[in-house]
Amino acid sequence: MRATTLVLKNISRRKGRSILNSIGLILAIAVIVATFTISSSMETHIGEEVEKYGPNIVVTPDTQSISIPYGNVMVGRSTLQENHLTKLSEIENAENIRTISPKLFGTAMVEGENVLLVGLNADSEVYLKVWWEVTGELPVEDSNEAMMGSEIMSALDLSIGSTVTINDSEFKVVAALNETGSNDDYTVFLPLHVAQGLLGMDGEISLVDIGALCSTCPVEVIAEQITDAIPDVRATPVKQAVETRIKMVEQAANFSLMLASVVMVAGCAGIMNTMVSSVHQRRREIGVFMSLGADNTYIYKIFLFEAVILGLVGGVLGSALGVLSSMIMGPLVLSTPIIIQDIPVFSIPLSIAISVVACLVASLYPTWRATKIDPVSALKAI
Amino acid sequence: MIEINNVTKSYTMGEEKISALNEVSLTVEEGDFMAVTGPSGSGKSTLLYTIGGLLTPTHGNVQVNGSMIYSLTSKERARFRRENVGFIFQTFELLPYLTALENVMIPLSLAGEDSRDQEKWALEALEKVGLGKRATHKPNELSGGEQQRVAVARGLVNEANILLADEPTGNLDQKTGDEIMSLLRELNDEDGQTIIYVTHDQSNAKLADKVVGMIDGRIVTRINQRN
Repeated sequence: MRATTLVLKNISRRKGRSILNSIGLILAIAVIVATFTISSSMETHIGEEVEKYGPNIVVTPDTQSISIPYGNVMVGRSTLQENHLTKLSEIENAENIRTISPKLFGTAMVEGENVLLVGLNADSEVYLKVWWEVTGELPVEDSNEAMMGSEIMSALDLSIGSTVTINDSEFKVVAALNETGSNDDYTVFLPLHVAQGLLGMDGEISLVDIGALCSTCPVEVIAEQITDAIPDVRATPVKQAVETRIKMVEQAANFSLMLASVVMVAGCAGIMNTMVSSVHQRRREIGVFMSLGADNTYIYKIFLFEAVILGLVGGVLGSALGVLSSMIMGPLVLSTPIIIQDIPVFSIPLSIAISVVACLVASLYPTWRATKIDPVSALKAI
Repeated sequence: MIEINNVTKSYTMGEEKISALNEVSLTVEEGDFMAVTGPSGSGKSTLLYTIGGLLTPTHGNVQVNGSMIYSLTSKERARFRRENVGFIFQTFELLPYLTALENVMIPLSLAGEDSRDQEKWALEALEKVGLGKRATHKPNELSGGEQQRVAVARGLVNEANILLADEPTGNLDQKTGDEIMSLLRELNDEDGQTIIYVTHDQSNAKLADKVVGMIDGRIVTRINQRN
């Protein structure tokens, strides 16, 4: 029989009580795992939310002759080649690019009026501009379908289903863009390739709006990679969106870190309390061991081994509870379900390690106290 | 041989200073079967634990087989207890989560003996106290008398030459108590182990070769009953 066998037999006899004594530890570990899980989903989630505030990189030709303002960008006559966009998939952070929305700007005669014409991929554009509210079906690529800004709709007295002549071609109005308060209200939107044909600018685009999803890497870096990859373009990060996003993610991460630290301190105090009371409950047993010739090394061995076992069991049970509770609480906090993939891989082994180390550290003082027990008074106290 | 020279053990309880042992001197020969008697608080148990190396005296010294046990480091004294002393307590003090056999194995485990030897020797010790067939039982499945026998086996398994028993029959009925006393007597007769036991039962004291009577931390009577 070894000291370790003795400890295992003792713990297995008091399974229920050992678990009861470890509840503080189990809860602390559960909260740490749940915090890791929820905060990591929160970071992704916030990243996704902030992405919705529009494109965060605008790619324009390097040299421009300023002519038309579109949003915050001045759109000139210079264009870039659509086929260069394939290079976007070759940049280092390619997987962080979520949406690419190339656009061609021009002017066209619509029912005798000179209006702003934008060729685009309607699906991508709607994905980037979440504030757009569209009535009807989006124009299908390569079809003679058009979407109209609200002001043009009313000025030309059009409705969904009407036919309209643009530069001598007939188009069907399939969608109406509700009022946005921007240039878009005065714009005619056509499928990109149709617009290129209509304007005689095949394969050319004026700018590309890019939505890059990256909670940690700076958007400036992605912009730089784009500038390097595609000849004669300038990729400009949209600062405001980037900074807001970084700040929100940082705040979320700091909050979780603070929460985890507080919980950990409380957990350690709980473990120490458990070990102190365990030593107290076992005073007589320690007295017996000492009378039978156990030295301090032996006392340290049995209590610290017990701490390791408690730490392992507490860590495993706590992690399981943490995963379970984050799956239950996650949807309430984030309004999106948490799936297994959301659990950071490192969090479980790390939590178990924290649990073991915390148990060991918290047990040092009580064990030291145990070695100071006077065996005679321990044996006499009934 | 155990020599106790002018041992004083005093405690302070609040403002009051209590002398549990007051300049006690005593020699115990090898193979002695000695009873220590006296009223509660007379210092009987204190004397026993002082001999066993568990209670450092305030003054004086204890010499066992020529070595001054309180000049040893605490680690060395633990080793001394492991190799030379067996304790038997009034309340048995068996570990409830271990079987009788495992309880007897503890001193051997502390001494770092090989697992197979531990089991073999522990079983031999249990057989010696008549409990070979109850080896796999836990303490709560044993009667009081059987538990005390297990404790006796635990005390002698490491071949300790000194067995110290603190009221070994105090928690047992008369008949069972007598059985334990005859077991101790037998061990002393057969193996020549030095046995010192504390008792306030006069009939138990009569079994001893030597009886030491204590009052207020002093030895007041020394009777040699050996014929």
